[in-house]
Amino acid sequence: MKRFSIVSAVVALGAMVVTALPAQAAEPGLTSKEIKLGISTPLTGAAALSYGKIPGAMKAYFDHINANGGVYGRKIKLVVRDDKYLPTLAATQTTNLVLKDGVFALVAALGTATHSKAYAAASLATKKVPDLFVNTGFSGFGNRTKYPTTFTVLPSYAMEAKIISKFVKDKFPGQAVALVAQDDEFGVDGVNGFAAGSLTLASKTLYPQSSMTDARAKALVTGLSAIPGKPVVILFGTTDVTALIFKAAESLSLTNKFTWIAGSVGGDSNTLLALGVKPTTIDGVVAASFFPDAKDTTDEYVAEFAKINAKYNPGVSFDNIVLQGMNSAMLTVQALRAAGKNLTRAGLIKSIENKGSKFASAALVPLNYSATSHIGYNGYWMGQLNSKGELKPYGGTLSVVTTDSTTGPITPSTFKRLSIPKNGIPTNS
Amino acid sequence: MKNIKSHKALAALVVTALVTTMAVAIPSAANATTTCAKASFKSSGKSVSYQKCTGTDWQGAKYEIRMPSKFNGMMYLYSHGIRGNHNMPKVPVIRPNGYVVDMAPEVAPGRTAADQETIARALLKQGYAVAGSGVSTQGWSVPEAVNANLQLIVEARSQFPNIEKVVSWGDSLGGHISQSLSEKYDVIDAVANLHMAGSADSQYTYANDFLWMFKTFFDPTIKGNGYSAGSAGYMEYMGDISKVLTAFGTIQAAIAADPLAPKWPASSTVPAALQAIPVRSAVLLIGLLAGVPVQSMTYDASSGPAGPLETSFGLAISPALGVFENAFTALALALIGNYDAEVRCGGTIFDNTATDYAARLGDNGDVYAAGLSGKTATAGMLAYLNKLNPAAPRVKGTPAALNCIKNEQANYTGAITIPTITISQTADQVTPAGFIQKFKELYASNVEAGTAKPGNLLNIWNKPPDTYTKFDSAGKPITPALPTTGTSHFMYTNSDLLIIAKMLASAGKTGKLPSVATAKAAFKKNPNIFIDPDYKPELMFADR
Repeated sequence: MKRFSIVSAVVALGAMVVTALPAQAAEPGLTSKEIKLGISTPLTGAAALSYGKIPGAMKAYFDHINANGGVYGRKIKLVVRDDKYLPTLAATQTTNLVLKDGVFALVAALGTATHSKAYAAASLATKKVPDLFVNTGFSGFGNRTKYPTTFTVLPSYAMEAKIISKFVKDKFPGQAVALVAQDDEFGVDGVNGFAAGSLTLASKTLYPQSSMTDARAKALVTGLSAIPGKPVVILFGTTDVTALIFKAAESLSLTNKFTWIAGSVGGDSNTLLALGVKPTTIDGVVAASFFPDAKDTTDEYVAEFAKINAKYNPGVSFDNIVLQGMNSAMLTVQALRAAGKNLTRAGLIKSIENKGSKFASAALVPLNYSATSHIGYNGYWMGQLNSKGELKPYGGTLSVVTTDSTTGPITPSTFKRLSIPKNGIPTNS
Repeated sequence: MKNIKSHKALAALVVTALVTTMAVAIPSAANATTTCAKASFKSSGKSVSYQKCTGTDWQGAKYEIRMPSKFNGMMYLYSHGIRGNHNMPKVPVIRPNGYVVDMAPEVAPGRTAADQETIARALLKQGYAVAGSGVSTQGWSVPEAVNANLQLIVEARSQFPNIEKVVSWGDSLGGHISQSLSEKYDVIDAVANLHMAGSADSQYTYANDFLWMFKTFFDPTIKGNGYSAGSAGYMEYMGDISKVLTAFGTIQAAIAADPLAPKWPASSTVPAALQAIPVRSAVLLIGLLAGVPVQSMTYDASSGPAGPLETSFGLAISPALGVFENAFTALALALIGNYDAEVRCGGTIFDNTATDYAARLGDNGDVYAAGLSGKTATAGMLAYLNKLNPAAPRVKGTPAALNCIKNEQANYTGAITIPTITISQTADQVTPAGFIQKFKELYASNVEAGTAKPGNLLNIWNKPPDTYTKFDSAGKPITPALPTTGTSHFMYTNSDLLIIAKMLASAGKTGKLPSVATAKAAFKKNPNIFIDPDYKPELMFADR
C-alpha cells in the first residue's frame, strides 16, 4: 500500500510537471536553448547589392546578444535563405523556412510582391507564424485580416509621398514637378500618396519593374529636360533605376538641370556610388530618411552598432543597410524579451502589439505598433546628400514629421528617442 | 468497407445501378464474358504465376483482372485518365501519329506501358490482384466509368469469391472516377487518387477561360465553342486546332526571337496600343486569369541566365514562359475536351457572359506586376477583356448543356467514409492544385454536416525543386527530357507509386489512414514530397 502511494505520488508529480511545462514545448523552432528564426531575402541578384547585407547585420547583432547570454538563456539562430527578390522563389524559400527548417518566426523579409506571395504560399496566417519587421512600405500589409501575423517596419510609401509632397510645396514653390515611379503596388502607393499630398505634377512616368534600360533612361531624361526652368524630379523606384537615370543625366550633361529627390527605397548613396554614379551627381540630391545617417558616428545607435558590426561582421562596411539590419535585430530581441520566458508564437505577437511602441530603436521617428496597428515607423525627415554620400538635414536643421497613410495631417514630431540600451543589449520585459 | 460480406446489400446496389444505367444507355452485350488464361513472369529468379482474365461487360467496356496464384485477399482497381472520344488524323504537336479512340483497360498506373507493367507485377508478386476497365466510352466519362468499375468488381468477385478487400486508385480523371465510385457505392475499402481531376464544370471552365482569352487576344476567328452538328462541326473543330497551333507557334517564335519585347501574332486584332505591350505579358495575364500555374517543366518562374538579364528574366519573363508552356496543354484540353463534351451534352457547355475577369487578378496583379509590364498595361489588357467591349464577345452556353456538365457527370462530393489519399503536383497544369483544395473543402463541409467521417483524408503534395531552369551557354533555356517533378501532369515514379500502393493496402486492411508522421517517413527519400495540412492552394475560379 505504501509502495502504491509512492508510485501514485510520483505519477501525480510527473503529471504536474508535464502540466507545468510551458506551451512552448510544442512550438516549432523553440527549445530551452535556442530560438530559431528565419529570413528570406536577396543574397544574390540585382537587389542583393543593396539589401544583401541585412542578414549578415542581423546575424552579427544576434551573435552579440548570444555572447551576452541570449534571450532568457536561449541563443538565437538565424536561418537565411536566398530569394533573389523574386516572388516565386520567395514563396518557395519562406515555405522551406517554415516546413523544412522549422523556424519559430520569420524576420525582416524584404519586398512587397515577394512577401505577399510568400505569406500566402507558406500559410503563415493559418500556422500563426510571427512575421516580424518586414522591410516594405506597402500599406497593404496593414490589413490585419489578411496579414494577421505581419508587422512591417518601414513607414508606408504613402506616408513618404505625402511628406515629400509637403516638402516640395514648401521648399520649391513654383518649380514644375515630375514624378518617375515604378508601375506596381509600390509606385502606386506612392502615386496615391502624392495625390493625397495635393502635389501638382507636370509629368508622371510609370515604368514596369525591370524594364528600365540605359536607352530608356536617356529618353526619359531627355524628355524631362523639355520642362522649362529647373524642375523637381522625384524618383520613386529602386536604387538600380535611380542609378540608371542619374547616369543617363550625366551622359547628357543634364544633372544640374533638375532638383533631384530620391525616395527612400532608391536613394541609398552607397549603392548609388557602387553602381557607378558620380559623387558630384549625388551631391545635393534630396532624400527622405527615418534613421540617423550611418556615417554620423556622433549618434549613439550608429556608434554602438558600428562597434558590434566591426566585431561580429568583419570586413563588411557599416552603412545604412547594416544599420537597418541591426535595428531590426534589436527590435526582434526586444520583442522576444517582451514575450517573456514562456515564449509562444501568440505571445510574441501580443508582446509587439502591447509593448512594441516603446521599444528602443535607432529611428528618429516613433514606432506605431498597437493592438490595432502592425505598421512600424510613421514619419520621415528630409535631408540632402553630399558628395561623400552623407545625408544631412535639409537646410541644416533636423525636422522630423509624422503622418498616416491616408488623409491625416503632416505634423512636426514631438518624439523623443529612447537611449540605446547599455552595450546595445536590451533588458526590457 | 467492408468487404462485400453483405451480398444482399451489394445485389441491391447493383440492381439499382443497372436499372439507372439501363434507363440512359443501351447495353452492348447482355452479360459480361470473362475468359481466363494462366500467365507468369520471373521476379528475382522466382516465377510468379497468375490468371489473366479479360472480358467485356454488358455496356461494352473491356476489362482485365489479374489474379495471382498466391492471393492475399485484396484487389487493386485502377481507373485510367481521360482519353479522346473521337478519332483524329495526324496533327503536328497535338497528335503527330493521329489517334484512334482507345478502349483498352489498364490495370495499374505508370509513366509508360512498361512502368505500368512493373507496378502491376510488383503488386502481383506481393499477392495482390489488379484490375481495370477500359470503360465503354471515352472523353469525360465518369458516370459510365463508375458503372463499369462496379460491374468489374461484381465480375471479379464472381470469378474469385475469395476477394475480401477492394482498394481503388486512379489517375487524373481516373482519380475522379475512383473517388466518385467510392462515395457512391459501398464497395471500396480505401482509395488513392493521383493528381485527381476537378469537377467537370471546373475543369472545362478552366480550359475554356484560357481558350476564350487566347482567341480574344490572338485570333478571334477561332470558334472554340458551339460547334455545328455532324461532320460540319468536326471540320470546325479541326480548323480550330489548326488556328490555335498557328497562333501558338507564332507567339513561341516571337518570344524566342525577342524575349524582352516579343510581338503579337498577325492574326491578332487588338488595338496597336495593346500590341505595344510585350505579348508575353498578355500570355501571363490570361494564364493568371484562368488559373494556369506559372511554373512549368522548363520554367521555375525564378531563374535567369547568368549575366545582366538574370534577375529580370526570373522576375518578368520566366513566369510568362511557364504559363505559355503550360497553356498548350490547357488549349489542347479545351479544344479536344470541348468537342467531346459538346457532343456528349448536346450544346455549348461554357458560359462567360457574367465573368468579371478583372476581378480575378487580385494580388497576382501586384506579385507579377513586372511580368505584366506594369499596372497601366495590365489595366489596358483587362479593359479589352471586359464584357462591355464589343470586340470581345462572350460565350453564351446552352442551358441544357450547361446543366449536363454541371450536374450530370457523377461528380464526387467529398462525402468520404473510407480512408482516402490524394497525391498531386503543386504546379500541375491539367489538374491544378486548386482542385484538391476544393476537394478538401467539400470534405470539411461533409464532416461538419455529419455525412463524412473526420480523419479520413490525407493530402500528399509533390512540389518542384526550389529552382530548376537550366540555360545553355548562349543563355537559352533548356527543356528537360523528362518533365520536372512537381510540374506538369506527369505520373509519379514507380518508387513513389509503390509507396502509395503500400499506404493504400494498409488503409484498406485497417480502415485507417497512415499518420502524417508515417506518411512523411515513407517519402523521406523524396525531398519534393511534402505533407502539410495547412497548405492551401488557390481555388480554381469556378470553385470560388
